[in-house]
Amino acid sequence: MGIFDRSTAGHITPPVDVTLERGAIAFFAETIGETNPIHFDVDAARSAGHPDVVAPATYPVVVGTFAGNESARKGSPGILDLIKADMRHLLHGTESYTYHGTMYAGETVSVVNEVLGFVDAKGGKLEIAQVATRITHPERGLIVEAKRDIIHVLG
Amino acid sequence: MTITPATAKPGDTLPPLTFGPISRTTLALYAGASGDHNPIHIDLDFAKSAGFDDVFAHGMLSMAQLGRLVTDWAGQENVAALSTRFTAITPVNATVTCEGTVTEVVEQDGETLLKLTLSAKVDDGTQTLKGNALVRIA
Repeated sequence: MGIFDRSTAGHITPPVDVTLERGAIAFFAETIGETNPIHFDVDAARSAGHPDVVAPATYPVVVGTFAGNESARKGSPGILDLIKADMRHLLHGTESYTYHGTMYAGETVSVVNEVLGFVDAKGGKLEIAQVATRITHPERGLIVEAKRDIIHVLG
Repeated sequence: MTITPATAKPGDTLPPLTFGPISRTTLALYAGASGDHNPIHIDLDFAKSAGFDDVFAHGMLSMAQLGRLVTDWAGQENVAALSTRFTAITPVNATVTCEGTVTEVVEQDGETLLKLTLSAKVDDGTQTLKGNALVRIA
């Protein structure tokens, strides 16, 4: 028996707006050891032709998490709570991004999470939840689609 | 000669990147910066209660290094896709070494793209991430 709430398969969370903050992007960039100043120095970003600091390549996962936190504050569960993920048994299996554009500080993007489905693996020792996050800009449309497998190690 | 996306051929390798050692402080900062507050990465008591000897690094902290590897080389605006499978846990205090290799030239939606294979390994050679990227030829 698995732990995930499999009745949530197909669920799409209501869109949540997330405003990309310059300081938050810079903090993330510095933490991951980013050396390209377009990610933490607004003057360098503008000199390179960007409107503001550029969100790093894996920042979509952060935006997805911030959206979940925002939705939890408003009383509806984020994606991990929704599918009943148990942190004691949770591993990250895969993560993928398809980019259609770039995210910049100062923008407000719309975030939707979808529970794609659940599968069992290794004879039931693993159960895998497949989820997607889509981040859309009001004018530039879909910016990035993220997909991930998150795994419960059972038994 | 420096290899760029415009001159790269299958078999060429990207300049490697190392990150670490990944201290407990780095994990605490990554938890705060990413919003991923899963205590398995930052709270030794919780990790032990879940059956682990110690906390371990966020997989996404290593994927961020694969992102740096590719965007440093190609420019972020030229990266069409980035993906990884997490194949082993990254222990606390590990140093991560990331490498990339051009494997093929593909045509997709009227664009010419390079397909890269990516890897992250920790100190003892264990591969922790097995990834791919698609990069536009600028």
